[in-house]
Amino acid sequence: MLTSTIKLKILVIGESGVGKSSLMLRFTDDKFDPNEQPTIGVDFKVKNLEIDGQRIYLQIWDTAGQERFRTLIPSYYRDATGAILVYDVSKMNSFQKLETWLEELEINTNRNITKMIVGNKIDLQNMRKVDRELGKKFAKQQRALFVETSAANNINVQTAFEELVKKILEDNIFDDQNGVAKSDIRLTGMSDSQNQQPAGGSCTGGYCGR
Amino acid sequence: MFGAFGKQETPKEMEEILNDTITPQELEKFEKVYMKELKDKKCVTAKTQFEYAWCLVRSKYGADINNGVKIFEGLCKDDPDNKRDHIYYLAIAYTRMKDYTTAQKYVQAFLEIEPNNMQVMLLDEHIEKELNKEFKKDAAIAGGALLVLGGLLGVGFALAKKYHDKKKPDEEVRKNEPAN
Ligand SMILES: Nc1nc2c(ncn2[C@@H]2O[C@H](COP(=O)(O)OP(=O)(O)O)[C@@H](O)[C@H]2O)c(=O)[nH]1
Ligand SMILES: [Mg+2]
Repeated sequence: MLTSTIKLKILVIGESGVGKSSLMLRFTDDKFDPNEQPTIGVDFKVKNLEIDGQRIYLQIWDTAGQERFRTLIPSYYRDATGAILVYDVSKMNSFQKLETWLEELEINTNRNITKMIVGNKIDLQNMRKVDRELGKKFAKQQRALFVETSAANNINVQTAFEELVKKILEDNIFDDQNGVAKSDIRLTGMSDSQNQQPAGGSCTGGYCGR
Repeated sequence: MFGAFGKQETPKEMEEILNDTITPQELEKFEKVYMKELKDKKCVTAKTQFEYAWCLVRSKYGADINNGVKIFEGLCKDDPDNKRDHIYYLAIAYTRMKDYTTAQKYVQAFLEIEPNNMQVMLLDEHIEKELNKEFKKDAAIAGGALLVLGGLLGVGFALAKKYHDKKKPDEEVRKNEPAN
Protein backbone atom coordinates (compact mmCIF):
# COMPACT_ATOMS: atom_id res chain seq x y z
CA MET A 1 0.00 0.00 0.00
CA LEU A 2 1.18 3.48 -0.82
CA THR A 3 1.23 6.37 1.55
CA SER A 4 0.45 8.84 -1.21
CA THR A 5 -2.92 9.07 -2.91
CA ILE A 6 -3.20 7.08 -6.12
CA LYS A 7 -4.56 9.03 -9.09
CA LEU A 8 -6.62 7.16 -11.64
CA LYS A 9 -8.21 8.32 -14.85
CA ILE A 10 -11.25 6.35 -15.95
CA LEU A 11 -13.16 6.74 -19.20
CA VAL A 12 -16.86 6.10 -19.58
CA ILE A 13 -17.74 5.33 -23.19
CA GLY A 14 -20.55 3.81 -25.24
CA GLU A 15 -23.47 4.81 -27.46
CA SER A 16 -25.55 7.88 -26.77
CA GLY A 17 -28.42 7.37 -24.35
CA VAL A 18 -27.23 4.18 -22.64
CA GLY A 19 -26.86 5.96 -19.31
CA LYS A 20 -23.17 6.89 -19.02
CA SER A 21 -23.81 10.27 -17.46
CA SER A 22 -26.51 8.82 -15.25
CA LEU A 23 -24.17 6.15 -13.90
CA MET A 24 -21.60 8.78 -13.14
CA LEU A 25 -24.08 11.09 -11.46
CA ARG A 26 -25.35 8.21 -9.36
CA PHE A 27 -21.84 7.28 -8.37
CA THR A 28 -20.54 10.74 -7.53
CA ASP A 29 -23.64 12.52 -6.22
CA ASP A 30 -26.09 9.67 -5.63
CA LYS A 31 -28.64 11.40 -7.85
CA PHE A 32 -30.68 10.43 -10.87
CA ASP A 33 -32.30 12.69 -13.43
CA PRO A 34 -34.91 11.07 -15.68
CA ASN A 35 -34.41 13.98 -18.08
CA GLU A 36 -30.64 13.82 -18.30
CA GLN A 37 -29.53 15.94 -21.27
CA PRO A 38 -27.03 14.65 -23.79
CA THR A 39 -23.45 15.34 -22.77
CA ILE A 40 -21.59 17.93 -24.81
CA GLY A 41 -18.19 16.60 -25.80
CA VAL A 42 -16.72 15.40 -22.54
CA ASP A 43 -17.64 15.95 -18.96
CA PHE A 44 -15.65 15.27 -15.90
CA LYS A 45 -16.12 14.30 -12.29
CA VAL A 46 -13.80 13.51 -9.46
CA LYS A 47 -14.36 11.24 -6.51
CA ASN A 48 -12.17 10.35 -3.59
CA LEU A 49 -12.30 6.72 -2.55
CA GLU A 50 -10.66 4.58 0.02
CA ILE A 51 -10.25 0.94 -0.88
CA ASP A 52 -8.56 -1.43 1.57
CA GLY A 53 -7.03 1.57 3.30
CA GLN A 54 -5.56 2.97 0.09
CA ARG A 55 -6.58 6.52 -0.76
CA ILE A 56 -7.60 6.99 -4.36
CA TYR A 57 -8.37 10.09 -6.37
CA LEU A 58 -10.60 9.09 -9.25
CA GLN A 59 -10.94 11.24 -12.34
CA ILE A 60 -13.90 10.08 -14.34
CA TRP A 61 -14.25 11.30 -17.92
CA ASP A 62 -17.76 11.04 -19.27
CA THR A 63 -17.98 11.23 -23.04
CA ALA A 64 -20.70 12.06 -25.54
CA GLY A 65 -21.76 9.05 -27.57
CA GLN A 66 -23.15 11.06 -30.46
CA GLU A 67 -21.57 10.65 -33.83
CA ARG A 68 -20.49 14.25 -34.22
CA PHE A 69 -18.14 14.03 -31.24
CA ARG A 70 -16.61 10.72 -32.21
CA THR A 71 -13.53 11.92 -34.03
CA LEU A 72 -12.27 13.99 -31.17
CA ILE A 73 -13.06 11.90 -28.16
CA PRO A 74 -10.01 9.64 -28.51
CA SER A 75 -7.84 12.69 -27.87
CA TYR A 76 -9.10 12.50 -24.31
CA TYR A 77 -8.11 8.86 -23.92
CA ARG A 78 -4.47 9.42 -23.17
CA ASP A 79 -3.24 8.41 -19.73
CA ALA A 80 -6.42 6.52 -18.88
CA THR A 81 -5.89 3.49 -16.65
CA GLY A 82 -9.43 2.17 -16.86
CA ALA A 83 -12.44 2.22 -19.15
CA ILE A 84 -16.10 1.50 -18.54
CA LEU A 85 -17.96 0.46 -21.68
CA VAL A 86 -21.67 0.91 -21.23
CA TYR A 87 -24.60 -0.56 -23.14
CA ASP A 88 -28.33 -0.49 -22.54
CA VAL A 89 -29.79 -3.96 -21.86
CA SER A 90 -33.01 -2.87 -23.60
CA LYS A 91 -31.17 -1.95 -26.83
CA MET A 92 -29.41 -4.72 -28.71
CA ASN A 93 -27.76 -2.20 -30.99
CA SER A 94 -25.98 -0.50 -28.12
CA PHE A 95 -24.52 -3.87 -27.18
CA GLN A 96 -23.41 -4.70 -30.71
CA LYS A 97 -21.69 -1.33 -31.01
CA LEU A 98 -19.38 -2.21 -28.14
CA GLU A 99 -17.02 -3.84 -30.62
CA THR A 100 -16.41 -0.51 -32.28
CA TRP A 101 -15.82 1.18 -28.96
CA LEU A 102 -13.38 -1.53 -27.95
CA GLU A 103 -11.48 -1.15 -31.20
CA GLU A 104 -11.23 2.57 -30.72
CA LEU A 105 -9.96 2.03 -27.21
CA GLU A 106 -7.40 -0.45 -28.47
CA ILE A 107 -6.05 2.01 -31.01
CA ASN A 108 -5.91 5.01 -28.74
CA THR A 109 -4.81 3.76 -25.34
CA ASN A 110 -2.14 1.59 -23.91
CA ARG A 111 -2.90 -2.11 -24.20
CA ASN A 112 -2.99 -2.69 -20.45
CA ILE A 113 -5.97 -0.53 -19.83
CA THR A 114 -8.36 -2.25 -17.44
CA LYS A 115 -11.79 -2.67 -18.97
CA MET A 116 -15.25 -3.19 -17.56
CA ILE A 117 -18.39 -3.85 -19.55
CA VAL A 118 -21.59 -2.56 -17.98
CA GLY A 119 -25.13 -3.49 -19.01
CA ASN A 120 -27.28 -0.63 -17.69
CA LYS A 121 -31.05 -0.09 -17.23
CA ILE A 122 -31.85 -3.52 -15.77
CA ASP A 123 -34.82 -1.89 -14.06
CA LEU A 124 -36.56 -2.01 -17.46
CA GLN A 125 -37.21 -5.71 -16.98
CA ASN A 126 -39.94 -6.14 -19.58
CA MET A 127 -37.91 -4.43 -22.24
CA ARG A 128 -34.75 -6.44 -21.90
CA LYS A 129 -33.18 -7.42 -25.23
CA VAL A 130 -29.69 -8.46 -24.17
CA ASP A 131 -29.45 -11.53 -21.96
CA ARG A 132 -27.23 -11.36 -18.97
CA GLU A 133 -25.36 -14.45 -20.19
CA LEU A 134 -24.68 -12.86 -23.57
CA GLY A 135 -23.12 -9.81 -21.95
CA LYS A 136 -21.12 -11.91 -19.59
CA LYS A 137 -19.77 -14.13 -22.33
CA PHE A 138 -18.75 -11.16 -24.45
CA ALA A 139 -16.98 -9.53 -21.52
CA LYS A 140 -15.07 -12.72 -20.88
CA GLN A 141 -13.90 -12.86 -24.50
CA GLN A 142 -12.68 -9.30 -24.19
CA ARG A 143 -11.00 -9.97 -20.85
CA ALA A 144 -13.15 -7.32 -19.29
CA LEU A 145 -14.99 -7.26 -16.00
CA PHE A 146 -18.75 -7.48 -16.27
CA VAL A 147 -21.64 -6.10 -14.26
CA GLU A 148 -25.28 -5.22 -14.84
CA THR A 149 -26.58 -2.00 -13.30
CA SER A 150 -29.44 0.39 -12.95
CA ALA A 151 -28.57 4.03 -12.48
CA ALA A 152 -32.28 4.72 -11.97
CA ASN A 153 -32.74 2.25 -9.10
CA ASN A 154 -29.18 2.41 -7.83
CA ILE A 155 -28.34 -1.22 -8.46
CA ASN A 156 -24.65 -2.19 -8.56
CA VAL A 157 -23.42 1.29 -9.44
CA GLN A 158 -21.09 1.70 -6.50
CA THR A 159 -19.91 -1.88 -6.89
CA ALA A 160 -19.10 -1.40 -10.55
CA PHE A 161 -16.74 1.49 -9.98
CA GLU A 162 -15.16 -0.15 -6.96
CA GLU A 163 -14.56 -3.45 -8.72
CA LEU A 164 -12.92 -1.64 -11.59
CA VAL A 165 -10.67 0.32 -9.26
CA LYS A 166 -9.65 -2.85 -7.44
CA LYS A 167 -8.75 -4.50 -10.70
CA ILE A 168 -6.75 -1.46 -11.79
CA LEU A 169 -4.81 -1.63 -8.55
CA GLU A 170 -4.00 -5.27 -9.28
CA ASP A 171 -3.05 -4.60 -12.89
CA ASN A 172 -0.62 -1.76 -12.29
CA ILE A 173 2.42 -0.82 -10.28
CA PHE A 174 2.18 2.62 -8.79
CA ASP A 175 4.83 5.18 -8.08
CA ASP A 176 4.81 6.20 -4.44
CA GLN A 177 6.06 9.67 -5.25
CA ASN A 178 3.16 10.91 -7.30
CA GLY A 179 0.65 8.09 -7.20
CA VAL A 180 0.46 7.52 -10.95
CA ALA A 181 0.77 4.14 -12.60
CA LYS A 182 4.36 3.24 -13.41
CA SER A 183 3.52 1.01 -16.31
CA ASP A 184 3.76 2.40 -19.82
CA ILE A 185 0.82 4.76 -19.55
CA ARG A 186 2.45 7.29 -21.83
CA LEU A 187 2.65 4.80 -24.64
CA THR A 188 -0.44 5.72 -26.55
CA GLY A 189 -1.13 3.10 -29.14
CA MET A 190 -0.86 5.41 -32.14
CA SER A 191 1.30 4.15 -34.96
CA ASP A 192 4.56 3.97 -33.12
CA SER A 193 7.06 4.91 -35.77
CA GLN A 194 5.29 8.14 -36.54
CA ASN A 195 4.99 8.88 -32.91
CA GLN A 196 8.73 9.13 -32.46
CA GLN A 197 9.34 11.83 -34.97
CA PRO A 198 8.35 15.42 -34.61
CA ALA A 199 5.50 15.95 -37.03
CA GLY A 200 6.74 16.55 -40.56
CA GLY A 201 8.31 19.77 -41.71
CA SER A 202 6.49 19.73 -45.00
CA CYS A 203 3.50 21.67 -43.77
CA THR A 204 4.92 25.15 -43.90
CA GLY A 205 1.67 26.52 -45.23
CA GLY A 206 -0.32 24.92 -42.45
CA TYR A 207 -0.26 27.84 -40.13
CA CYS A 208 -1.69 30.48 -42.38
CA GLY A 209 -4.82 30.55 -40.29
CA ARG A 210 -3.16 31.95 -37.21
CA MET B 1 -8.37 30.30 1.03
CA PHE B 2 -12.05 30.93 1.43
CA GLY B 3 -14.88 28.49 1.08
CA ALA B 4 -13.25 25.70 3.00
CA PHE B 5 -16.67 24.50 4.03
CA GLY B 6 -18.13 24.41 0.56
CA LYS B 7 -18.26 21.38 -1.66
CA GLN B 8 -14.59 21.16 -2.42
CA GLU B 9 -14.83 18.95 -5.42
CA THR B 10 -16.64 21.32 -7.71
CA PRO B 11 -13.94 23.89 -8.38
CA LYS B 12 -11.39 21.15 -8.85
CA GLU B 13 -13.47 19.50 -11.54
CA MET B 14 -14.00 22.68 -13.45
CA GLU B 15 -10.34 23.54 -13.22
CA GLU B 16 -9.31 20.18 -14.58
CA ILE B 17 -11.61 20.58 -17.56
CA LEU B 18 -10.39 24.09 -18.19
CA ASN B 19 -6.75 23.14 -17.77
CA ASP B 20 -6.98 20.18 -20.08
CA THR B 21 -5.07 21.01 -23.24
CA ILE B 22 -4.79 19.32 -26.58
CA THR B 23 -1.42 18.09 -27.81
CA PRO B 24 0.13 20.15 -30.62
CA GLN B 25 0.16 17.01 -32.81
CA GLU B 26 -3.56 16.55 -32.42
CA LEU B 27 -4.30 20.20 -33.08
CA GLU B 28 -2.16 20.06 -36.19
CA LYS B 29 -3.97 16.98 -37.43
CA PHE B 30 -7.33 18.76 -37.42
CA GLU B 31 -5.83 21.97 -38.67
CA LYS B 32 -4.56 20.17 -41.74
CA VAL B 33 -8.00 18.81 -42.55
CA TYR B 34 -9.46 22.28 -42.16
CA MET B 35 -6.82 23.97 -44.29
CA LYS B 36 -7.12 21.34 -46.99
CA GLU B 37 -10.86 21.81 -47.31
CA LEU B 38 -10.41 25.54 -47.34
CA LYS B 39 -7.86 25.30 -50.12
CA ASP B 40 -9.62 22.70 -52.25
CA LYS B 41 -13.19 23.79 -51.97
CA LYS B 42 -13.02 27.31 -50.64
CA CYS B 43 -15.52 26.28 -48.03
CA VAL B 44 -15.28 24.04 -45.02
CA THR B 45 -17.98 21.64 -43.89
CA ALA B 46 -19.63 22.34 -40.55
CA LYS B 47 -18.20 19.08 -39.20
CA THR B 48 -14.62 20.01 -40.02
CA GLN B 49 -15.14 23.51 -38.67
CA PHE B 50 -16.57 22.12 -35.48
CA GLU B 51 -13.74 19.67 -34.95
CA TYR B 52 -11.05 22.23 -35.62
CA ALA B 53 -12.71 24.83 -33.42
CA TRP B 54 -13.05 22.33 -30.60
CA CYS B 55 -9.31 21.66 -30.84
CA LEU B 56 -8.53 25.36 -30.91
CA VAL B 57 -10.40 26.15 -27.73
CA ARG B 58 -8.44 23.40 -26.01
CA SER B 59 -5.14 24.95 -27.04
CA LYS B 60 -2.60 26.39 -24.64
CA TYR B 61 -2.45 29.60 -26.62
CA GLY B 62 -4.83 32.51 -26.43
CA ALA B 63 -4.52 33.21 -30.14
CA ASP B 64 -5.76 29.70 -30.94
CA ILE B 65 -8.65 30.01 -28.53
CA ASN B 66 -9.59 33.28 -30.19
CA ASN B 67 -9.65 31.64 -33.59
CA GLY B 68 -11.81 28.89 -32.15
CA VAL B 69 -14.23 31.52 -30.88
CA LYS B 70 -14.52 33.02 -34.34
CA ILE B 71 -15.35 29.67 -35.88
CA PHE B 72 -17.94 28.84 -33.22
CA GLU B 73 -19.56 32.25 -33.66
CA GLY B 74 -19.86 31.54 -37.35
CA LEU B 75 -21.27 28.10 -36.66
CA CYS B 76 -23.99 29.57 -34.46
CA LYS B 77 -25.40 31.04 -37.64
CA ASP B 78 -24.39 28.43 -40.22
CA ASP B 79 -25.14 25.31 -38.20
CA PRO B 80 -28.00 26.34 -35.93
CA ASP B 81 -29.12 22.76 -35.28
CA ASN B 82 -26.11 22.26 -33.08
CA LYS B 83 -26.17 25.66 -31.49
CA ARG B 84 -26.31 24.08 -28.05
CA ASP B 85 -22.78 22.72 -28.53
CA HIS B 86 -21.45 25.93 -30.01
CA ILE B 87 -22.75 28.06 -27.17
CA TYR B 88 -21.23 25.67 -24.65
CA TYR B 89 -17.80 25.83 -26.26
CA LEU B 90 -17.99 29.60 -26.55
CA ALA B 91 -18.61 29.74 -22.82
CA ILE B 92 -15.66 27.40 -22.24
CA ALA B 93 -13.43 29.43 -24.55
CA TYR B 94 -14.17 32.75 -22.87
CA THR B 95 -13.73 31.14 -19.46
CA ARG B 96 -10.34 29.81 -20.51
CA MET B 97 -9.40 33.32 -21.65
CA LYS B 98 -10.64 34.61 -18.30
CA ASP B 99 -13.21 36.84 -19.95
CA TYR B 100 -15.80 35.80 -17.40
CA THR B 101 -18.33 38.47 -18.21
CA THR B 102 -18.72 37.29 -21.77
CA ALA B 103 -18.57 33.65 -20.69
CA GLN B 104 -21.43 34.26 -18.32
CA LYS B 105 -23.65 35.63 -21.07
CA TYR B 106 -23.26 32.42 -23.02
CA VAL B 107 -23.85 30.28 -19.97
CA GLN B 108 -27.00 32.19 -19.15
CA ALA B 109 -28.27 31.91 -22.68
CA PHE B 110 -27.74 28.17 -22.45
CA LEU B 111 -29.43 27.81 -19.08
CA GLU B 112 -32.47 29.65 -20.33
CA ILE B 113 -33.07 26.70 -22.62
CA GLU B 114 -31.79 23.88 -20.42
CA PRO B 115 -32.01 25.16 -16.87
CA ASN B 116 -30.97 21.87 -15.30
CA ASN B 117 -27.96 21.02 -17.39
CA MET B 118 -25.36 19.91 -14.85
CA GLN B 119 -22.43 20.44 -17.14
CA VAL B 120 -23.32 24.06 -17.70
CA MET B 121 -24.46 24.66 -14.12
CA LEU B 122 -21.00 23.74 -12.89
CA LEU B 123 -19.41 26.07 -15.38
CA ASP B 124 -21.80 28.79 -14.27
CA GLU B 125 -20.78 28.26 -10.65
CA HIS B 126 -17.14 28.48 -11.57
CA ILE B 127 -17.64 31.68 -13.55
CA GLU B 128 -19.65 33.20 -10.75
CA LYS B 129 -16.87 32.46 -8.31
CA GLU B 130 -14.22 33.96 -10.55
CA LEU B 131 -16.33 37.03 -11.16
CA ASN B 132 -16.74 37.50 -7.44
CA LYS B 133 -13.01 37.31 -7.02
CA GLU B 134 -12.52 39.92 -9.70
CA PHE B 135 -15.24 42.04 -8.27
CA LYS B 136 -13.55 42.10 -4.92
CA LYS B 137 -10.24 42.95 -6.49
CA ASP B 138 -11.56 45.70 -8.64
CA ALA B 139 -15.16 46.68 -8.32
CA ALA B 140 -15.01 48.85 -11.38
CA ILE B 141 -14.90 46.31 -14.17
CA ALA B 142 -16.97 47.51 -17.04
CA GLY B 143 -19.14 45.08 -18.94
CA GLY B 144 -18.75 46.43 -22.46
CA ALA B 145 -18.82 42.97 -23.95
CA LEU B 146 -22.44 42.58 -22.94
CA LEU B 147 -23.70 44.76 -25.75
CA VAL B 148 -21.71 43.02 -28.46
CA LEU B 149 -23.32 39.74 -27.60
CA GLY B 150 -26.89 40.86 -27.56
CA GLY B 151 -27.47 40.31 -31.25
CA LEU B 152 -25.81 36.93 -31.43
CA LEU B 153 -27.71 35.33 -28.61
CA GLY B 154 -31.06 36.84 -29.35
CA VAL B 155 -31.66 34.23 -32.00
CA GLY B 156 -31.93 31.42 -29.44
CA PHE B 157 -30.95 27.85 -30.18
CA ALA B 158 -32.82 25.63 -32.51
CA LEU B 159 -33.67 23.65 -29.43
CA ALA B 160 -35.66 26.52 -28.13
CA LYS B 161 -38.24 26.03 -30.80
CA LYS B 162 -40.77 24.41 -28.59
CA TYR B 163 -40.59 27.39 -26.33
CA HIS B 164 -41.18 29.73 -29.19
CA ASP B 165 -44.14 27.76 -30.41
CA LYS B 166 -45.76 28.21 -27.10
CA LYS B 167 -46.76 31.78 -27.66
CA LYS B 168 -46.38 34.05 -24.75
CA PRO B 169 -49.61 35.69 -23.78
CA ASP B 170 -49.52 39.15 -25.19
CA GLU B 171 -48.82 41.80 -22.76
CA GLU B 172 -52.27 43.12 -22.40
CA VAL B 173 -51.39 44.12 -18.91
CA ARG B 174 -50.89 47.58 -20.19
CA LYS B 175 -53.01 49.24 -17.63
CA ASN B 176 -54.24 52.64 -18.42
CA GLU B 177 -52.38 54.81 -16.13
CA PRO B 178 -54.25 57.70 -14.74
CA ALA B 179 -53.33 60.52 -17.01
CA ASN B 180 -52.08 62.86 -14.52
N1 LIG C 1 -34.93 3.30 -16.77
C1 LIG C 1 -33.68 3.74 -16.75
N2 LIG C 1 -33.34 4.83 -17.41
C2 LIG C 1 -32.06 5.28 -17.34
C3 LIG C 1 -31.07 4.58 -16.61
N3 LIG C 1 -29.91 5.24 -16.75
C4 LIG C 1 -30.16 6.30 -17.54
N4 LIG C 1 -31.46 6.34 -17.90
C5 LIG C 1 -32.11 7.34 -18.76
O1 LIG C 1 -31.64 7.20 -20.07
C6 LIG C 1 -31.49 8.46 -20.71
C7 LIG C 1 -30.07 8.66 -21.18
O2 LIG C 1 -29.21 8.72 -20.07
P1 LIG C 1 -27.80 9.46 -20.11
O3 LIG C 1 -27.17 9.26 -18.79
O4 LIG C 1 -27.95 10.84 -20.61
O5 LIG C 1 -27.07 8.60 -21.24
P2 LIG C 1 -25.66 8.87 -21.94
O6 LIG C 1 -25.95 9.52 -23.24
O7 LIG C 1 -25.05 7.52 -22.10
O8 LIG C 1 -24.87 9.75 -21.01
C8 LIG C 1 -31.93 9.50 -19.69
O9 LIG C 1 -33.26 9.83 -19.92
C9 LIG C 1 -31.77 8.78 -18.36
O10 LIG C 1 -32.65 9.29 -17.41
C10 LIG C 1 -31.47 3.38 -15.90
O11 LIG C 1 -30.69 2.72 -15.23
N5 LIG C 1 -32.78 3.02 -16.02
MG1 LIG D 1 -24.03 11.59 -21.40
